[in-house]
Amino acid sequence: MFEFIVSYYNYWMYIGLMMIGFYAMMAKRNLVKKIIGMNIFQSAIIFFYISTSVKKGATVPILENAHGHATHGIEHGANAINVMQYANPLPHVLMLTAIVVMVATLGVALAVVILIYRRYGTLEEDEIMKLVRRG
Amino acid sequence: MKILSLIAGVLMGAALIYGSLDMPKWGDPHSPASTHVSPYYLQHSIEHAATPNVVTTVLADYRGYDTLGETTVVFTAGMACLLLLGKRRKRQGK
Repeated sequence: MFEFIVSYYNYWMYIGLMMIGFYAMMAKRNLVKKIIGMNIFQSAIIFFYISTSVKKGATVPILENAHGHATHGIEHGANAINVMQYANPLPHVLMLTAIVVMVATLGVALAVVILIYRRYGTLEEDEIMKLVRRG
Repeated sequence: MKILSLIAGVLMGAALIYGSLDMPKWGDPHSPASTHVSPYYLQHSIEHAATPNVVTTVLADYRGYDTLGETTVVFTAGMACLLLLGKRRKRQGK
């Protein structure tokens, strides 16, 4: 039972974080709080992907003894690279891309929120909708 | 509305937790994510790109065009912010 929890609790943590963000996006009326919820949601997805790259007992994917004379050893197979020694590098790379997209969406969303505040003088969604309906 | 969102969140969380039971265990070195293509990058990055940091190799060498597109995303976001916020200021000046 304990081993079962240890094997899967990381997914449950990310699902909890993701649902906190999801709830904030749906239920909060303040637009900035909605954006904070979106960021929590995206961070949870990034954590999830990073956790799939973990291998037990492995270190960061930077090759050891890869500079100088040892490089020849690696190239010629005398000092072969043990794949189990290094964490999976691909999720790290893909999440770098995802972080860039996250920052870009955050910037544009905050710019739009600033415009909404200048136009309507409030960030509460229901008040904005009242002002829009009134014309 | 808040109750409805809470119910939707709890239902989706329960479905995701049910789905997570089929995922590979945490830290499993034989999980599908780390067995098919990632050993190739770990083994060959030093001879292809002569860089010990595999993340850097994949980001800037194998996926160089993707990183170029990424800079386009940042540039577009910056231009969008400038256009959104700059135009308004000019109108206020008039």
